[in-house]
Amino acid sequence: MVSFDVQRIREDFPILKSKVNGYPLVFLDNGATSQKPRQVIDGIKYFYENINANPMRSIHHLAEKATEAYVEAREKAAKFINASPEEIVFVKNTTEAINLVSFALPFKHGERVATTYLEHHSNILPWLKLKENGLNVDFVDIDENFDLDIDYYKEMPAETKLVTVAHESNVTGTVNDVKKICSLAHSSDTLCLVDAAQSAPHIKIDVKDMGADFLAFSGHKMLGPLGIGVLYINKNVAPKLRTFMTGGEMIKSVKINKVEYADMPSFFEAGTQNVEGAYGLGLAIDYLNNIGLNNIESYEKGLMAHLYQASKTINGIDVYSGRSKKNGAIFAFNSKTLHPHDIAYLLDKKGIAIRSGFHCAQPFIEDKLHLEGAARASMYFYNTKEEMDSFVNGLKEIQVEYG
Amino acid sequence: MDEEKYYEFVDLYKNPDHKGKLKDFDFKTEEYSSSCGDVFTVYLKLENGKIKDATFEGNGCIISTISISKTCGDIIGKTPKEIQKMGLGEVKKIVGVDEISLSRIKCATIGLDTIKKALRNDSSE
Repeated sequence: MVSFDVQRIREDFPILKSKVNGYPLVFLDNGATSQKPRQVIDGIKYFYENINANPMRSIHHLAEKATEAYVEAREKAAKFINASPEEIVFVKNTTEAINLVSFALPFKHGERVATTYLEHHSNILPWLKLKENGLNVDFVDIDENFDLDIDYYKEMPAETKLVTVAHESNVTGTVNDVKKICSLAHSSDTLCLVDAAQSAPHIKIDVKDMGADFLAFSGHKMLGPLGIGVLYINKNVAPKLRTFMTGGEMIKSVKINKVEYADMPSFFEAGTQNVEGAYGLGLAIDYLNNIGLNNIESYEKGLMAHLYQASKTINGIDVYSGRSKKNGAIFAFNSKTLHPHDIAYLLDKKGIAIRSGFHCAQPFIEDKLHLEGAARASMYFYNTKEEMDSFVNGLKEIQVEYG
Repeated sequence: MDEEKYYEFVDLYKNPDHKGKLKDFDFKTEEYSSSCGDVFTVYLKLENGKIKDATFEGNGCIISTISISKTCGDIIGKTPKEIQKMGLGEVKKIVGVDEISLSRIKCATIGLDTIKKALRNDSSE
């Protein structure tokens, strides 16, 4: 794509033509989930009208087509992050991916996991739960600009088995230097898991260059359907893992006395999978590739620069995003006088959709921001500068009327 | 709930009735709203089997704050048994709105839920 034609792109997203409370929809809750282009919506319909069967099992014509579709989707997901297909496990979402690792990685009593203060609950709770089994959980701290204390990774406790970190914070949009963190982790023989739920939709990922042992992301935040996600597991790490769920299609042979499990990635895909979801995710990846992740990143950079400039004219708000070394397309803020839920409610009355609350990151919001919640506008490449202006003007009006 | 009603509530929101801690209370409990992070504490004083005074502490959105504030006023003179029978219908009347959207029901009822929980906690002890 030579030039980035946002109006042309918006034509692909039927829902963006909606009106909400009499206003054109301004959808700024992309950190929660993205909208879907026609290509994905129509593709899922096509799947059920032309392909549907249970893949990897039966040998009839449709089963063959469904198997092809599933295999092809895995190849697309692998190429998307520069991995091999056998390193790609389809899961429900990032949460399931991280839970899978927490079950599959054999921890010994007294070993440690280093998570961080910037994490979503899904990268905190699976580890806290393992405290029951004697695992110690450390929280890497952040500075006043929400940048991680990189020095922590240089001198970790010797028992640290896994470092787990968000590529991008879902609250502040802070983009962490995960390549450096992975490299530091490896220099002390520690594995590294990267939560790419917020970054994969916006930033080109190369797991080989990054050096992650595990990387997780959700399809629905990057134009794909709900209920499909990806867990990348480095092929050198996979043999060390235990089963997560057991059942159909994840075995080679089942005898009452001896079970032989399948190789990766089937090893982690017990039961009939979300084939429709994988197929839809493949189409979403095609769409993103067609536009180009680099084009998306640079377009969003311009959008955010416009928003930060315009937001300076709003009185009575505190802004928490945009001050780290590298930042994504997230604008986190609070009104000095109104609760974040009220801000979200009043913006919705103007057709503007944002998120409010803890954002599933209670330790960060309470312990680090010292707040009871925050409001968040999260952008995607189909948002426009005009929408940024509507959002800023909407906030201004609310601050004047209610502030 | 419409925007006008919201606007009407803003002043009360900034200075709600029944806010503060009771020095002398019989029941006290805390309740969380996990989605928005609100935490409220209620204090209840009972006399002759009826609520003599009710207050709350904590910060929330307009709906939760107005609701808990007005519910504290409403229950004075009622018995714990009468309060346990109250539900969303009563809360709507107390707040003075006909409709509350699905995603805001928890905001509307957190006050009543906390009060009921406080009364239950004591009777179970």
